[in-house]
Amino acid sequence: MLGKIKWANIYLWFVFILLYLPIFFLIIYSFNAGDVMQGWSGFSWKHYGELFADTRIIEIVVNTFLIAILSSLLASVIGTAGALYIYNLKQPLAKNVLLSLNNVLLVSPDVIIGASFLILFTVLGFSLGFTSVLLSHIAFSIPIVVLMVLPRLQEMNQSLVASAKDLGANNWQMLSRVVLPVISPGILAGFFMAFTYSLDDFAVTFFVTGNGFSTLSVEVYSRARQGVSLEINALSAMMFIVSLLMVIAYYIISTRAAKNKKRGAQMMLAATEGL
Amino acid sequence: MNLRAFLDTIVLLTKSEGWELTNTSTPIIEFKNVGLSYDDNEVLKNIDLALEAGKFYTLLGPSGSGKTTILNLISGQLTPTRGDILFEGDVINDVPVEKRHMNTVFQDYGLFPNMNVFDNVAFGPSIKGMSKADIKNKVTEMLELVKLTAYADREINELSGGQKQRVAIARALANDPEVLLLDEPLSALDYKLRKEMQYELREIQQRLGITFVFVTHDQEEALAMSDWIYVMNDGVVQQNGSPEDIYDEPINHFVADFIGESNILDGVMKADYLVHFTGKDFENVDAGMRPNEQVEVVLRPEDLDLTSVENGKLVVTIDDQSFRGDYYEITAIDDDGNEWQVQATNKSTIGERVGLTFDPEDIHIMRFNESEDDFDARLESYEDDSDDVKA
Repeated sequence: MLGKIKWANIYLWFVFILLYLPIFFLIIYSFNAGDVMQGWSGFSWKHYGELFADTRIIEIVVNTFLIAILSSLLASVIGTAGALYIYNLKQPLAKNVLLSLNNVLLVSPDVIIGASFLILFTVLGFSLGFTSVLLSHIAFSIPIVVLMVLPRLQEMNQSLVASAKDLGANNWQMLSRVVLPVISPGILAGFFMAFTYSLDDFAVTFFVTGNGFSTLSVEVYSRARQGVSLEINALSAMMFIVSLLMVIAYYIISTRAAKNKKRGAQMMLAATEGL
Repeated sequence: MNLRAFLDTIVLLTKSEGWELTNTSTPIIEFKNVGLSYDDNEVLKNIDLALEAGKFYTLLGPSGSGKTTILNLISGQLTPTRGDILFEGDVINDVPVEKRHMNTVFQDYGLFPNMNVFDNVAFGPSIKGMSKADIKNKVTEMLELVKLTAYADREINELSGGQKQRVAIARALANDPEVLLLDEPLSALDYKLRKEMQYELREIQQRLGITFVFVTHDQEEALAMSDWIYVMNDGVVQQNGSPEDIYDEPINHFVADFIGESNILDGVMKADYLVHFTGKDFENVDAGMRPNEQVEVVLRPEDLDLTSVENGKLVVTIDDQSFRGDYYEITAIDDDGNEWQVQATNKSTIGERVGLTFDPEDIHIMRFNESEDDFDARLESYEDDSDDVKA
């Protein structure tokens, strides 16, 4: 019995070390005094200095976060409305069709979504840049939010809606005072999920960035092709710290929100370490 | 007086007269030939109800009998496919839920998990736009009524089932409804708590003097709490009356079987006040039937007594018995093979042959397919007769 637990623990640690090793490797080399990933030539903040002196990369970081925040906020609003609509549909056929359309978007390869957006924007004569990236990020985030919110609605006690109506609430009062607060953990999870997806999306963004505008993942990719500068390591290290802070923020927000509820924060997105 | 003023006076007069009428004779809720069907499935058939203000009504029946459907029609969650529902004389078929002067206590309470006890109870008044001070007074008053004053700041998931129940009642009553609808509110509580809540609900109803419509499948609950009971089955009101009426004078096999324990046997009404069953003639108190009409005979277990074989009207063999605290429940078999349930104060011996005795007025006769109106009329007629006989 004891032996079993021990093996399970060892296996778990092994997996985690394997998962995190490359990231730690990257972070450690961001402090390397040398300019390459081979050979440790001493500790230095040099690459961080270079990073902060590089105004282009700072601008890209700001853009990336702006896109992530805006797209996840808008996707949360649209996705929640969509989930409410699907939930309230009476016809099972229409419900299933909409749900399937939602899920197809979720599983279809990013490359296809990215390419189709590129074609759409080109056909419409839409100039590529901040707006095109934002629109496509909103589009691929909506199904994620729907997926996170819908189960909340389905497990919500039906008589809550009946009670609110019974006590005289109109549709808006019922929604704002009862339904939205009850499903808020789902909306929050959807928001954070959409945020991380937007933050680390490469494939879709790569198609629709156009000239001049870039996000982090696309920038790192294009720079890496010319040989990785350790400046990128410094950037990755900082992004890792930000992701970590986000996980902690999500944890705090969701436990506080769910403090008084039996069901509260469910899973946390291990995906948040992103880049 | 000019014409305009004259007309105004007339309008005023008719209005005040109408108001008089609603106050004295109009039922608070009335169903006129109400039916409800889903596709080809008829859930309710031609329901007529008239509920007077200030009384405790119970809709009693097994699941699927249509009792909750009636409640949902009253509250407005369902719309009838036929007939009219009236509130204080006005048809309200199309009035939406939130505009009706009634509130519901739901079976699973439907308390808002995102609010504490205070905010749950304050929900209705705050929707109405009452001032903060008024809301606070109202909530305090309601929590006092359900004895939860100390729990105002509690979260819903910190409450026991019984406390949730009380919050649900307080929340519904905080809207000052004229009718409170209760959908099997006690079914999730344990036996002792249920008994307590039955008593308290009755007390609250009498204190507030508003109309309660209570839905239950528990006949004991219905008998204990109600002023008036509607017994439902198959989407039809089988019988309505006071608890005593329904228990003592069930109209048909279903009601006799559903309300309390019954011994139901086939019999023949040989003449007025003479019924034949288990191969013997018995004197009874029913009349007004065709000679030799086939009927069903009901004898309640608590009306039967065990005695010596010589003194018994019937002779039975004790088959089984179980101790029930204040009595023994005995199953006995007569010589025709009919099974009899008897509540006896003394312990018996299984296999023993004993006499079974009862009084003429303990025999209740049910005709087949008799309508409620005919049933009531017949009962009234021979009750007068028997008074005459005695006089």
